[in-house]
Amino acid sequence: MTATPFGLGALVKAAIILCACGGAALVIGLLYASGSADSSEQDIQPVAFSHKLHAGQLEVSCLFCHRYAAISRVASVPSMQLCMGCHQNLKEDTSETKKLLAYWENETPIQWVRLQRLPDFVYFTHEMHLHHGMECMHCHGRVQDMPHTPRASTFEMGWCLSCHRREGGSLDCLTCHQ
Amino acid sequence: MDLGRRTLFKLAGVATAGSLIPGCQKEVNRLVPYLLPDEQIVPGVANWYASLCGECAAGCGILVRVMEGRAKKIEGNPDHPVNQGKLCAKGQASLQSLYNPDRLRHPFQREGPRGAGRFVPLTWEEGLQRLAQVLLDRRVPPMMVTRPVSGTLARLLSEFMDSIGGTLYFYAPDAELPLHAAWRESMGCDGAPFYDLAHTDYLLSFGAPFLEHWLSPVAMGIAFGQMRQGRATVRGRYVHIEPRMSVTGANADQWLPIRPGSEGMLALGIGQLILDAHRSTLHGQEFERFRRFYGSVRLEDIERATGLSRDVIVRLAQDFDAARAPVAIGGGSACSQTNGTLSLIAINGLNALASSMGRESLAHGVRRHDPRPDRLIPWLTERTVFELVEKQDTGAGSVLLLYGCNPLFTMPPSVPIKTLFEQASSVVSFSSFLDESSEYADLLLPDRDPLESWGDHVVENPAQTMGLSQPVVPPLYETQQIGDTILELSRRLNLGHGQAQTFYDLLRERWKTVLADQPHAKADDWFEQVWIARLQEGGLWRERSRAGPPAIFAPSRGFEQACFVGEEHDYPFIFHPYPSMLLGHGEGANRPWLQELPDALTTVVWGSWVEVNPRTAKDLGITHGDVVRVISPFATLTASTILFPGIHPDVVAMPLGQGHASYGRYAKNRGVNPAELLAPALDSMTGTLAAGATRVRIERTGEKRRLVTLERPTMEPSDLIAIDRR
Repeated sequence: MTATPFGLGALVKAAIILCACGGAALVIGLLYASGSADSSEQDIQPVAFSHKLHAGQLEVSCLFCHRYAAISRVASVPSMQLCMGCHQNLKEDTSETKKLLAYWENETPIQWVRLQRLPDFVYFTHEMHLHHGMECMHCHGRVQDMPHTPRASTFEMGWCLSCHRREGGSLDCLTCHQ
Repeated sequence: MDLGRRTLFKLAGVATAGSLIPGCQKEVNRLVPYLLPDEQIVPGVANWYASLCGECAAGCGILVRVMEGRAKKIEGNPDHPVNQGKLCAKGQASLQSLYNPDRLRHPFQREGPRGAGRFVPLTWEEGLQRLAQVLLDRRVPPMMVTRPVSGTLARLLSEFMDSIGGTLYFYAPDAELPLHAAWRESMGCDGAPFYDLAHTDYLLSFGAPFLEHWLSPVAMGIAFGQMRQGRATVRGRYVHIEPRMSVTGANADQWLPIRPGSEGMLALGIGQLILDAHRSTLHGQEFERFRRFYGSVRLEDIERATGLSRDVIVRLAQDFDAARAPVAIGGGSACSQTNGTLSLIAINGLNALASSMGRESLAHGVRRHDPRPDRLIPWLTERTVFELVEKQDTGAGSVLLLYGCNPLFTMPPSVPIKTLFEQASSVVSFSSFLDESSEYADLLLPDRDPLESWGDHVVENPAQTMGLSQPVVPPLYETQQIGDTILELSRRLNLGHGQAQTFYDLLRERWKTVLADQPHAKADDWFEQVWIARLQEGGLWRERSRAGPPAIFAPSRGFEQACFVGEEHDYPFIFHPYPSMLLGHGEGANRPWLQELPDALTTVVWGSWVEVNPRTAKDLGITHGDVVRVISPFATLTASTILFPGIHPDVVAMPLGQGHASYGRYAKNRGVNPAELLAPALDSMTGTLAAGATRVRIERTGEKRRLVTLERPTMEPSDLIAIDRR
């Protein structure tokens, strides 16, 4: 009996194999993808915000927008009201500022793509690092010169420790892995 | 019809290529800023708010960790005199009441027949309008059944019910009414009992589960720690007498299994032996009263009834007599009998006797908290239910308002509570969840979660601690605090006593009068300053008041034997239902954290089980995990067996709390409700249910079901306890 590759029975078998292999691969792939969520993202934002313009040309202090960095664990993203504090009075009308105004008028916050994220098992505070006199650019690079701000460093343990060793920071495991 | 080799390779290739697709996909994390920032909130920094735990009547102080407007963790308030920074599992899990997906999110009205559980949403305006109309149309006085509330809310509810000519009843399955009744009789004062465990050197407990759910378990746990380890030279001894070894009993130096219902007799025996030992020295009318009460039963009868030998009873009496500061406490199984109050009089009387003999008295009567000094708020006991149903004309039922309790689940079906619901012309529930009783309602006006509410609570302890609770998060849903609902209703019915606009105003008014008596600054805005300080601290802690007057032992009745429902021949075992340490009488069943915590003694997670002594099981041919039928004269339940050596061979026990037919996704259809088996036996003095007075028999079904346990059961019928069946 010769093989009839496109008979009904073969199609059913093919479907079963495809589902089984594909399903298993999908599960493994998804697990892999969810585990790698900390890798750096490309800076493609809903509104093309430029650090080069704001922090560089206009010389706005980092802490003006990221106002909780000196007093909290997180640096925080500015509220929409803070953006509009300046943009409401600006005459300049570009496609990006129009987008911003549309968000404001619809009373919806901009959902920024998160570029910097440490895994949950790392305890990190911005507050303590700024308190010890570090500058934002030590870790985040010279954002005032960057139209886009990809992750400037690896933010891996070796990178943290090299700086902690150099600067005399704590090397106790429990400092960061509480 | 074979699948060709090439085709197979092609398909496998396609599948492998497909596997790469998810690898390319990356989870994108989003940063969502505030539209308008809240000046009080610093992202990443937690705010801690002091408030009160609403899970039981103990009134522990809590600190809630709130980040970005969300409550994240609850801890005990270290400044609060009751719990001193500690908190039980129920308190920790109360976050899951706030975030519970099954919370009622807005008012509802019944659709279809009553009890069918179909509801349609309403606005608050419509809901309040309907409630006002229902009360205007009333033909007989309405009644309100609530969990025992305290402070400002109790006063408001009581005054409201008075103004519409109705009655406010408190109801809680764990109200310990026999304890309070016994206190009055054995101590001769109308206070609330307070046992100073921390300073005792000999604690004799007749079934009181004080480390689980009795009175104020966290405070008692702290005091127990001090009693055992807090003093340099004394380690208090603790003997526990109960038919089943509870978690509390497992902490004792000695656990004595006793026949249910004979706890009072044992106390009589101990009292008798102490009085006999001091026959020559104790004179006067006072001791005559003791002699009359304690001498009413012969020692041989006590031996026979309790199943304890004379040596054991004599030793207990000697140890109690020799202690410098002994305390006897009774509760749990001892008070859930038909002679519950009388047993507790006998037990409490031992404290009165010790204090009359010059021992240090550690059982104090403290001033009761009366929200309305002019009026006593009655309790809805099972006897009251019988009376109400009998009294009620079937033609005209009253309006039934229900808040914070679930009597259709916690009362056994043999008590006609369902009839009371059926007779009611209208049932309105203020509960936050659709439980068995709320499901029977016509109108649901959901209350806010305690973490979203204002309130206060007066603790009946020597310091008369007043706790203050405040909303720590903005309300998640369109719910309204019951206090605000009642005030709004008063306005609609033109009752005239609702001067305060909101419950918050009412609370502040009351606290203004309380705080005015305390020393404070003379400035005009003194109240604002003190109010903020009280909110920050979590309440008002006063100095301990002095101990009450000396005890006067004056029981109005002599001792009686316990009665059981069911013939011993047909129903050889006494049924012992006990509230689960975690789920209580069922109120904790909708918290997943509590559901997944293993029971401390049997290590069972989820479901219901029957505890049987290994010897009894051997006689019946039952092994661990066998599904048995537990048959009482009223109902039959099936559950898996646990061989539990810590139980009297004549007793079978089941934990309460499971078996909900409603109450949300985590509680529903899990286990069985042992309350269904119970006979309508009542405590002869208070009329509360005698939950331990039903006899049962067990039958094998032949089935075996795996119980989820943390530990593999390795307990063989051993000689861990030496009880001879007679």
